[in-house]
Amino acid sequence: MSHEHHPPALKMGLPIPNAKLGMWLFLGTEIMFFTAFIGSYIVLYFGSVDANGRSAWPTDTHVTHINILAGGLNTFILIVSSYFVVVAHEAMTLKDFVKARKFLWMTFALACVFLGIKSYEYYGKIHYDILPGHIPETAEQSVHKFQNNLSDTLDRKLNDLIPGDAPLHVKQLEVPTALQDAEGERLIQLKAYSALHSEFLKIREAISADKLSMEQAKVKLKQLQENDTYGHIVSGLRVYDPIVYGNLFSSTYFLMTGFHAIHVIVGMLLFGAALAVGTSLDEKWTDWVENSGLYWHFVDLVWIFLFPLLYIIPGNIGQ
Amino acid sequence: MDHAHDDSHPHVNYFGVFIALCICTAISVAFDLIEISPILLVGLVLAIALAKALFVMTYFMHLKFEGRWKFVVLAPTAVLAVGLMIALAPDMAMHYYTMDTPQSKMVVVTHGGDGHHSEEGDEGHHAEEEHASPSSSH
Repeated sequence: MSHEHHPPALKMGLPIPNAKLGMWLFLGTEIMFFTAFIGSYIVLYFGSVDANGRSAWPTDTHVTHINILAGGLNTFILIVSSYFVVVAHEAMTLKDFVKARKFLWMTFALACVFLGIKSYEYYGKIHYDILPGHIPETAEQSVHKFQNNLSDTLDRKLNDLIPGDAPLHVKQLEVPTALQDAEGERLIQLKAYSALHSEFLKIREAISADKLSMEQAKVKLKQLQENDTYGHIVSGLRVYDPIVYGNLFSSTYFLMTGFHAIHVIVGMLLFGAALAVGTSLDEKWTDWVENSGLYWHFVDLVWIFLFPLLYIIPGNIGQ
Repeated sequence: MDHAHDDSHPHVNYFGVFIALCICTAISVAFDLIEISPILLVGLVLAIALAKALFVMTYFMHLKFEGRWKFVVLAPTAVLAVGLMIALAPDMAMHYYTMDTPQSKMVVVTHGGDGHHSEEGDEGHHAEEEHASPSSSH
């Protein structure tokens, strides 16, 4: 009996490779993973209300720096790359491994382009400090952020002028002595720092006494920047306008697009593994390419939903 | 039409599917550019996204040509994903914030001056603080 064949037992599993079943089960968990994010995003979107009870979610693309054309271009790139993967897989099944490699390389390159455009978008957010926890949501917070940024700029300048590990307040006490000893460019820099620092003390006092409005802070900063002595030190500073619910917005934006970008990188690793074998790519890799392709199509699917939800719809249903 | 046990999938015009996806994307972007009622826009844009998703799943992911195992594998996750959205639907209509948050109160972008003193308002310590830290920030 033990030498007998048991064909029925072999047919009890699914008629697909185990790896493919594994990939589909994994994609099943991934669907829930992204559904939870998207669901939470929609709840937060409508739950973040103004005094009238309407959604006050930041939707103006000039404020959020959401670039609809960049998002649309990325959608197109992912669709093209999905098509290339399908062609690569078809070439694998037809044992045309040269063609398969060519299309896998092109997919890989398009993934790089996608991440490049994404980085450009992220750069815009970072440049305007649209980052979770960084965004002032009221005029008062804007003024405090201005104070903090001015304070950090001064701290950096002080560390440049008086290097060493001593605490900042100790270095501050050394400034008068340093002014006496310094000459040339260093003296100019120390004088600029001192003058700016005394301005800072006045500003801080005004803010703590609640006597500096956001508009006044903007005027004050402009005056500081136009000053010949220390204007260059504060040239990069700005008073950020408040964005109501901006922190929630950027949290959800970076969470969803960030996890999607991680998936893109993982997809690149999967394709990279097949490409790394170079001309040795053969039929043994067919399942690998198919499963990587399934994963890649899923990455495309997620973006297909993120694009309207994050880019098109908010820009159009806002006030 | 079900070739589940066949290793080679039936020939699909992948390029045609690709063109359909491109057209769908172009229409989505076009909706952003034209004037259209917001509710209609949401419906149309999401319908297009759904159509694109179905194109990708049916042809690119070969689900059309897979056996019935696809229902066994995908039904639980589909039920849970749809169930999650249904479960969240009441929350979408509710406001998890009370309406007196600083954000919701702020209608005009001006300095409120609502009598709230900042945390560092202790004048007694203020002078001391200036010496202790040249640019302390809170």
